[in-house]
Amino acid sequence: MDGLLKVESLRKGQILDNVSFEVKPGEMLAIMGPSGSGKSTLLYQVAGMDEPSSGKVWLGDTEITGLSEDGKAKLRLHRMGFVFQQMNMMANLNLLDNILLPAMQARRKTYSNMTGRQGESRMTKSELEIKAQRLMQKFGIANLGSRKITQVSGGQLQRACICRSMMNAPEILFADEPTGALNKSAAQEVMEVLLGLNREGVTILMVTHDSKVASCCDRILYLLDGRICGELVMGKPKPDCQKQREEKVNNWLMGMGW
Amino acid sequence: MIIKLIMNDIKQNKLFSGMAVFFMAISSMLTVLTVLLFSGLLGAIDGLMGKAQVPDYMQMHAGTLEPVEISHFVGQHEEIRDWQICRFLNLDNSRITLGGHSLADSTQDNGLSVQGERFDYLLDQRNDKPRVLPGEVYVPSCYRIQYSLAVGDLMEIGEQELVIAGFLRDAQMSSMMASSKRFLVSEADYERIRQQDGRNAGVSSAGSTYHIMQEEYLIEFLLRDGTDTNAFGSAYAAAGLPANGPAITKPLVRMMNALSDGTMGFIIFLASIVVLLISILCICFMLSLQLERDRKDVGMLKALGVGKVQIRRLYMAKYLVFAVCGAGAGFLAAVLLSSPLERQIRELYGEPDSGLQAIISGMAAIAVTEGIFLFFILQFLKRVERLSALEALFSSREQGRKAGWKQSLLVGFVAFACIFLVLIPQNLYTTMSDPAFVSYMGIGNSDIRMDVRQTADIEGRTERMCVALGEDVRILKYVALYTKSCMVVLPDGRTSHFHVETGNHTIFPVNYLEGEPPVGEKEIALSSMNAEEMGLSVGDRLRLLTNGEETDYTVCGIYADITNGGKTAKAYQVGEEAPVVWSVLYVSFKDDAFGGIFSRDGSVEEDSSKGELSRESVAKEAWMEQYRRMGADVIDIADYVKGTYGQTLEQISLASKVAFGAAISVLVLVVVLFMRLIVEQRRYSLSLYKALGFTAWDIKRRYFIKGMLPVAIGIVAGFLLGNAYGEGICGIVLQSFGAERFRFVIDLAEVSWIVFWLLLTAMAAVWAGIAEIRRIKACECLSGQD
Repeated sequence: MDGLLKVESLRKGQILDNVSFEVKPGEMLAIMGPSGSGKSTLLYQVAGMDEPSSGKVWLGDTEITGLSEDGKAKLRLHRMGFVFQQMNMMANLNLLDNILLPAMQARRKTYSNMTGRQGESRMTKSELEIKAQRLMQKFGIANLGSRKITQVSGGQLQRACICRSMMNAPEILFADEPTGALNKSAAQEVMEVLLGLNREGVTILMVTHDSKVASCCDRILYLLDGRICGELVMGKPKPDCQKQREEKVNNWLMGMGW
Repeated sequence: MIIKLIMNDIKQNKLFSGMAVFFMAISSMLTVLTVLLFSGLLGAIDGLMGKAQVPDYMQMHAGTLEPVEISHFVGQHEEIRDWQICRFLNLDNSRITLGGHSLADSTQDNGLSVQGERFDYLLDQRNDKPRVLPGEVYVPSCYRIQYSLAVGDLMEIGEQELVIAGFLRDAQMSSMMASSKRFLVSEADYERIRQQDGRNAGVSSAGSTYHIMQEEYLIEFLLRDGTDTNAFGSAYAAAGLPANGPAITKPLVRMMNALSDGTMGFIIFLASIVVLLISILCICFMLSLQLERDRKDVGMLKALGVGKVQIRRLYMAKYLVFAVCGAGAGFLAAVLLSSPLERQIRELYGEPDSGLQAIISGMAAIAVTEGIFLFFILQFLKRVERLSALEALFSSREQGRKAGWKQSLLVGFVAFACIFLVLIPQNLYTTMSDPAFVSYMGIGNSDIRMDVRQTADIEGRTERMCVALGEDVRILKYVALYTKSCMVVLPDGRTSHFHVETGNHTIFPVNYLEGEPPVGEKEIALSSMNAEEMGLSVGDRLRLLTNGEETDYTVCGIYADITNGGKTAKAYQVGEEAPVVWSVLYVSFKDDAFGGIFSRDGSVEEDSSKGELSRESVAKEAWMEQYRRMGADVIDIADYVKGTYGQTLEQISLASKVAFGAAISVLVLVVVLFMRLIVEQRRYSLSLYKALGFTAWDIKRRYFIKGMLPVAIGIVAGFLLGNAYGEGICGIVLQSFGAERFRFVIDLAEVSWIVFWLLLTAMAAVWAGIAEIRRIKACECLSGQD
């Protein structure tokens, strides 16, 4: 199978209607569409957070739609990462503890994933902390670990959220409007982080409203009334051509009735 | 608009609303039940005592009696309104059968009586004076349930047969705590049976003449209002009038009646207090959660200019609706439950006061209970008043650790209160059913007690019995105690009659509240009632007038006593010349006295294959009969306790079952509710956990531990404190029975079962409460944090 993530004839009530697509390993795919088109619903079904009415979803060789609730949970813990629009952090934990949360749960159990990284799931808390600190340093929030989530900016919080999603080294990262709640500069910072991860080989599936954000992706799918109505292949971004990419996306979107 | 808002709120919060109504209803039910039981009991007792015209002072006496002496005494005392002498023909229990059931095992003094001429009437089931025809008998109503008797059954006294024509309510002796029971017969039958006894009198193996029946006199007085019965009793004793039996006053009769049937009411009262406390806490907590949840709505209303009074009224109106629903449901449940609980009251004293007065009392109890709820709710709502519109709209919700701690504390407290509630009646039951309990009541903890009373040769008979006991191979130890009549010199120089039990008090010691039993010649121990009345404590001196000389005794101990009106004293020896008024022998058996291990709890051992009394029991009964023929009233202490406190124990047992049921229901509901609330409150976090890859089992395991921890701590704390300090609370009940400063007898196996069941129930409740975790979807958190 070529695709890392494969979606086949997916339906969810009246919201999604026969949606099929693939995400290749290392690809960064954006899903766009007007409000109410079913973007977020599609993301929940694909990530195994909700049960579709019909259709199938595979991650690698694993059919997500055939798994039990607990099976899906394990899959999310070990093989998927999530970045949310509202960041979704625990208010009663500090930033570092929030980042460590899924990793602390994952280290308790051995889990063989596709790449056979069994050893990592048994790391001690101090080892995990070192790993978290390394990620935090990489994303520019190294000194904020002890802060409460109310004591950091939106951009910093979203970067912490990305740190959390990367702690278990997922095969795919799902991002639901990752810059939706951020100002321009913070959104820019977060996009740079996500692009950096994608360059390192992390597969990303992102839902966005922002054409500028979508223009950074390899491919864009346009969703309207629960159906995929269009596809724009962009390829990997190259230096100094961002403006052209943005224009291309905007023109395409205008053509789609955006 | 308000109604629409309330109805919508109730629809959206069915769980909260249902729980609020439940707590208000269960609290109302228990308080109304307490009020109905107490008002019913006291009303029924007063009604019966009024109709029966119970004497204010009654002196029992056996032997010769000169009515002229009493008449002379009456002439000198203006406070006497009326007086009469009733006769009581004490029967031999082994010769009585009721509807085919022998009364041989009865610990009561059963006897015949005729209707009082002027007062002290024996009433029928309609509280009327029955007309007894020759050949008929009216039987005490307590025996009706005990032996399943019906009108038309036969009562046999030896060869004499009487037809049961009805059942009696005896205002003086209905309670099982009263040791005598009167059977009402016609004057003709009374005389016939009395004369028959003369022909049946025999000679015992020891050579003394014994009568199967003994006639006693009840010398009864009605006194004018405001007369001090204690002073009257002293005047009677000082006049040297016949008095070789116990004296009973009207307040004592009322207390005995109330006590034997009031214990259940007391336990339900205790339960109602605990449940009310739990309910207030739970409702306030639910309200605080609701206020947090409605914070933004309240802010919006304030921003729109709605006044704080209107906002408060909105909440109060809703809780008023809940209070009305709870009050209605509680009242209905109480009325339904009170009927079976009042069965015994109805049987012994007549129909409880279930008229207007009881309904008004019940309504008042409901109003007070619901008023307490509404008061606390009002206090809570003042928080809203202090909140500004901006604060309400923009400040964050009070979630997290603080609220979590409050919840855990509350659940822990509820578990603590629940086990406390169950342990107290349970331990009270174990303590009172233990044979050693008699030692708190002035009776030595032995196997057998023999009373030699109302006979001419008390000392001679006692000595002959001592000789027989000394030669008896079954006996482990025994002691004879002689009660002597002497005069005590009061601090103001006056003298008063005083009964002192002499002999060795260390063999079967009673329970001493202070000090020790008397061992030296000039030592005396006093019952707590005597010590209190004379204002004496251990180490003080008491002057007795014996052999015409005044002798000082040192008070060496104070003990609890309910025998002989509670006013007794114990000494090793008082003057040789002092007359013996009665004697008591305490006996304990060797373990294999009757061919096997003797049952100390007094249970009737039956041969399972034949359904008959075991050989040991038959042998023991024969042994007791042998000593009865020597002229003593022989009772098995365990039977005595069962006979005296059987009804009370049954009531405590019933009340402890009610308490256990209430505790389990409250614990389950509170734990399920709070676990559901915790899950609901943290729905967002739990959804996020799921989104991050935690399985439902991972999360449930954590929340199970989180929920069980405070419950387990509460149960353990309740177990320790309930066993340690429950004594203090039960002391209020037991002190009324005469048993003071007692120690709980704890049946560890029984108590462990209770703890086990509560823990098991709590575990099931926690698990049920967190079941919702499985239904929370991982994607729920993505729609935002509010």
